[in-house]
Amino acid sequence: MKEVKIKAENLNLFYGQKQALKNISIEIPENKVTAFIGPSGCGKSTFLRVLNRMNDLIDDVRIEGNIIIDGTNIYDKNIDVVNLRKRIGMVFQKSNLFPKSIYENLVYGLKINGIKDKKILDETVERTLIQAALFNEVKDRLNEPALALSGGQQQRVCIARALAVEPEIILMDEPASALDPISTAKIEELIHELKTKYTIVIVTHNMQQAARVSDQTAFFYLGELIEYDKTTKIFTRPTKKQTEDYVTGRFG
Amino acid sequence: MIRQFDQQLEKLRTKIIKMCSLVDEQVDLALKSFNEENIEYAKTVIERDSIVDKYDVKIEKACQKIIALNQPVAMDLRLILSALTINTNLERIGDIAVNLAEAAIEIKKKPDFIDRIPYYKMAATAKQMLKDSIDSLIEANPHLAQKVIKMDDELDNYDKSSYEVLLKIMKESPNNIEAGVTMLIISQQLERIGDHATNIAEDVFFIVEAQMIKHKYEKFLFGEEESEDDDKDINNEEEKPI
Repeated sequence: MKEVKIKAENLNLFYGQKQALKNISIEIPENKVTAFIGPSGCGKSTFLRVLNRMNDLIDDVRIEGNIIIDGTNIYDKNIDVVNLRKRIGMVFQKSNLFPKSIYENLVYGLKINGIKDKKILDETVERTLIQAALFNEVKDRLNEPALALSGGQQQRVCIARALAVEPEIILMDEPASALDPISTAKIEELIHELKTKYTIVIVTHNMQQAARVSDQTAFFYLGELIEYDKTTKIFTRPTKKQTEDYVTGRFG
Repeated sequence: MIRQFDQQLEKLRTKIIKMCSLVDEQVDLALKSFNEENIEYAKTVIERDSIVDKYDVKIEKACQKIIALNQPVAMDLRLILSALTINTNLERIGDIAVNLAEAAIEIKKKPDFIDRIPYYKMAATAKQMLKDSIDSLIEANPHLAQKVIKMDDELDNYDKSSYEVLLKIMKESPNNIEAGVTMLIISQQLERIGDHATNIAEDVFFIVEAQMIKHKYEKFLFGEEESEDDDKDINNEEEKPI
């Protein structure tokens, strides 16, 4: 396995009295795609949000255990959460672009970080659009509203926007579930390209998608991590019966 | 952007083509061993069979992985399904090369009666069929595949006449029996190479033209719609009085 980028140690998460994650320990390798799969309510999205402390925003959430990224526990008291999230980009199920131009969406992160140099901003727009395989499609309409783009293009602008602040990790929560097959294929190819530079963690309901895009797959069920292994292994000879039943569509 | 899936298919294709050339070489060397009465060639063939076996496992695993992770359809699916059967056929041809090599070691020297049987024609035809089936795969050429399928009858006829002549030769003198039996085996093995080359050619036709022609299957279906329940067709066939 490559170097470990993210490590969870005995992580428990409670929504009030209800325990949503049970003693999760996992090592996520650097520059690989790791997929979280499992039926609805299994905890996969909750766990994804643990990785950039998104659950901090929800009342009544209690977290035990450690999430160690590059050797630092991100739940330490002295961690700057804003800075942490700069290192960890996130892409959601539905595109959440601002009602601004494509250009403004892409430079938003830099601007709020005080970067105003037009040259840097222009370069960032070009770089991220190329990385998101979108440059040729939108290069002549950068000042048009981002919300006028197709759903698939909007989602790729979201990915480009996440890349603008040069994160190390990209978390994706069902990034293609609202898209048509062609846009989905583009996002999947994009994920494949991006992993050379970034560590990617993706949550997906679509098992076939996990099979296609990921190197490692973690199967969650009822808040527990049931099995975690190379994707090839999970989809050809899983060790646990629950995993086998889930990937073959027998339950879930 | 190149599809990642296409890269995986390309890797699989490369593995199969490498296995093809190895198996082709194995058959060549086994026959050379017999023709030139040099058992060193035969030994090489026997030693290298483990490499053929390794390819067999590698290709099967690659196909499993592609099916499990990519859910191929249409031409991609036909390619993977055919890759699996082509792989099996190549592995068997590899085994035949070993059988031929063992026969060459066994017989040591060509029998005096060799010119009375169509051995050289058979060897040439089997080699040509194997070469053409591999080329048809590499070039995705259905015409070449059809040529291979047609050649199989020729090879079968040689095998039949070889069998008849060898029986006669063995009846003539008990001294001929040992060499005669070995030549019978060689003849049968060459005929089997033709069968496997035919199977490969049929698969190539299936990949390119999306038509199943094995056992002249299309002829059975001519003018009929394929039934939803395929087993029913088979059962009906079985119930017919002989």
